[in-house]
Amino acid sequence: MISGKGGVGKTTTTANIGLGVALNEKKCVVVDFDIGQRNLDMILGLENRVVFDVVQVMDEEVGLKQALIKSKMSPNLFFLAASQTKDKSVLDSKKILKLVTTLSEEFDFVILDAPAGIESGYEHTIEFADRAIVVVNPEVSSIRDADRAIGILDSKSQKVKDGGEVMKYLIINRIDPKMVQSGEMLSSEDILDILSIPLLGKIPEDRGIVDASNQGKPIILDSNSAAGRAYSRIAARICGEQVAIENVEMPENNFMQKIKEMFK
Amino acid sequence: MFSFFHKKSSAKTAKDRLTIAIMSDRQNTSAFPFMEQMKAEIIEVVKKYIGVKAIEIKKELVGDVEALSIDVQLETRA
Repeated sequence: MISGKGGVGKTTTTANIGLGVALNEKKCVVVDFDIGQRNLDMILGLENRVVFDVVQVMDEEVGLKQALIKSKMSPNLFFLAASQTKDKSVLDSKKILKLVTTLSEEFDFVILDAPAGIESGYEHTIEFADRAIVVVNPEVSSIRDADRAIGILDSKSQKVKDGGEVMKYLIINRIDPKMVQSGEMLSSEDILDILSIPLLGKIPEDRGIVDASNQGKPIILDSNSAAGRAYSRIAARICGEQVAIENVEMPENNFMQKIKEMFK
Repeated sequence: MFSFFHKKSSAKTAKDRLTIAIMSDRQNTSAFPFMEQMKAEIIEVVKKYIGVKAIEIKKELVGDVEALSIDVQLETRA
């Protein structure tokens, strides 16, 4: 999970998609790779359960099984915390490869939450990726930074060095439908034109996100929330279901709801 | 007076500006096939004197002048 720019909702997206695929009966592990700035544990509501971290696993100070934390929200979701005391300079390619290889043998999905920026911590996160999900906001700095992050992925990942390609999928987060309609915010089509990677989903701006983070309960659990439903559809797509892309910019919901109410 | 009705959509402005900025970003990264080699050599030179963790080289436009900006990130002191 990559973004280039920070604060676009990458960690929130990691938590929701991880839980989403787990709720689709796929075994999933989410790993916080933002070494030194642990955050994913809070979003998943698991901060009190962290004893060991991913760096200790890679350094073989503790076993993988000891460090993996099982989510209360799905028996299929596991979590590996970032180290809070070390910094990204401890990351080592060989150890990362060993970790992701082991994880991919045990899990259907292994999602690494990359740190913001395009420094060494980011490069290590994407080093052995076979796919990348790019999270952007409909906002110039986010899109530009995402393009830089994609450029680095396309030149520095092992798969590319071996002559392959890392597939990239776009999630546009925090869309304000009214602003798009009034021409004050870049539309999804604009963003797709610029980045030219396939679209995985669109998430509308949703005030419930803050509440969800406050409680450590990913918003995907709230089927009344627009963002939660958008994450559910993305998770289904990742699991191979054909789900139409939501029309977040032109919500028909209100109109359709009114019609439905008329016939009640 | 009626400028409200003639306001240019800022999304359009954003798209135009982004398209140009990203084009130049991409050129920057692909225009120097020797970039990695140059980075490695600079690191070697600086390393003789002080620990280096990473290096970033960018082509920048400062006014009308093209410049190479080289950021050397030093090893954190133990």
